[in-house]
Amino acid sequence: MSLTTEKAAGSVRAAESDTIVNYWPAYWTMICLFVFYVTIRIYEQYFGWKAGLDSFAPEFQTYWLNLMWTELPLEFIAFCGIGGYLWKTRDRNIDAVTPREEMRRLLTLIGWLAIYAFTVYWGASYFTEQDGTWHQTVIRDTDFTPSHILEFYLSYPIYIIAGWGAFMYARTRIPQFANKISLPFLLFFAGPFMIFPNIGLNEWGHTFWFMEELFTAPLHWGFVFFGWFALAVFGTACQVLDRVIELSKEYEKDALSL
Amino acid sequence: MSISTEAGAPAGKAWKSKEEFLGCVMLTDWILLVVLFAVVLGSFHIHYMLLAGDWDFWIDFKDRRMWPTVAPIVAMCFAAAVQSFLWQKFRLPIGATVACLALLTGEWINRYDNFWGWTFFPINLVFPSALIPMGFWLDVVLMMSGSWLVTALVGSMGWGLLFYPINWPVLAQYHQSAEIDGVLLTLADLIGFNYVRTGTPEYIRMVERGTLRTFGKDVVPVAAFFSSFISMLIYFLWWKIGTWFTNTKYIEVDDI
Repeated sequence: MSLTTEKAAGSVRAAESDTIVNYWPAYWTMICLFVFYVTIRIYEQYFGWKAGLDSFAPEFQTYWLNLMWTELPLEFIAFCGIGGYLWKTRDRNIDAVTPREEMRRLLTLIGWLAIYAFTVYWGASYFTEQDGTWHQTVIRDTDFTPSHILEFYLSYPIYIIAGWGAFMYARTRIPQFANKISLPFLLFFAGPFMIFPNIGLNEWGHTFWFMEELFTAPLHWGFVFFGWFALAVFGTACQVLDRVIELSKEYEKDALSL
Repeated sequence: MSISTEAGAPAGKAWKSKEEFLGCVMLTDWILLVVLFAVVLGSFHIHYMLLAGDWDFWIDFKDRRMWPTVAPIVAMCFAAAVQSFLWQKFRLPIGATVACLALLTGEWINRYDNFWGWTFFPINLVFPSALIPMGFWLDVVLMMSGSWLVTALVGSMGWGLLFYPINWPVLAQYHQSAEIDGVLLTLADLIGFNYVRTGTPEYIRMVERGTLRTFGKDVVPVAAFFSSFISMLIYFLWWKIGTWFTNTKYIEVDDI
């Protein structure tokens, strides 16, 4: 390869590495999650009825409890791994970050938030209401029903991991979130996170009463309360946008003319 | 706890060119809108299904008394909160409609894919309540008045009163009477009895409760009027809750 070609290739690489916005990692993550959720939904369609009706049956152990005992450790490892990686590779001189690099990180954070929002949809909307129809149809004989194994112990931990990743990314790489704790971002992560411990209350209550006769039973209202905190996405978005605007002052008129 | 508003570092050159900036802004705006929509969908849906879900899930729960009382009141919370955010920060009078659209998106996906697709209930047993015209109304009042106070009073009144009429075109056919084995019941009841659920027993179903049926045929207007009244109060409260969740405060690291 000639020197000229190498220089040209080098400059192309430099230009590519200087790309300020790249949402493809977020898109691919969401595509993979979508495929995963559709696959698990097909599994549930088949094995929910075939092996998920009697928790004392051996096939329940094979097709459902084994799934749960597999997913829970993997989720814990993913939670620790993502948090640990982001902390280990944190920017140790964060006050020296250039405006362009800060903008790049803010946009990457929006990619993280997109993944979090995507997983919140699957957890809070799709799998939660699905649980309602399953328990209106099949009387439970265990806390670990097929719908719970996918709702409480799969889709909820996945959105917690995504939210944790977003929060830790901001804490370790973006000055405004690293130097202080963003109150709305903390609520946006911690509120929906608390839905998971609230499962303890929920299942404890269900050991006394079936309760699924009414999905609106007061025992379920803890989920509602912590779900409200997802509205802190408003403040989080405002904080990100405030900083984006601040870093883009020179183009304010151009943005307003859009 | 000390709380302050972040001023941030001095702005520098973040962009190479105007074109780069504009392209990025357009794309990122769309992504942020999707983020907000998905989060509102998830949050609103879990709220609605666990506070008003039974009346929304089943045609035989869609009565004249509890359903038009509970559903609008519960739905008002998120309509007001999203309206508060989009109006105060962006002057967009679309918050209530967006919230209703988000909820209905989540519900329809679920009713088809899970209620029908997994547990095999027919769609005419499990279709969700219509809400979007109420969202239009609330947003139009806010847009025309420019006042959340007027919206709380006029908009919320219409919100509660509109609920039953906008659902009636779909619901009416299921309130036709039928006589089965000498028992008079509605088609909605009949469908419900044919699809036995854990919520089927009559002592569980919270519909048409009351001993003397004091208001006779006027149950719906009275329920709607009461629902409007509570919706007004809910609107005030949840507008402020929406405002609070829009805060941009920071906490010192040492404080947590």
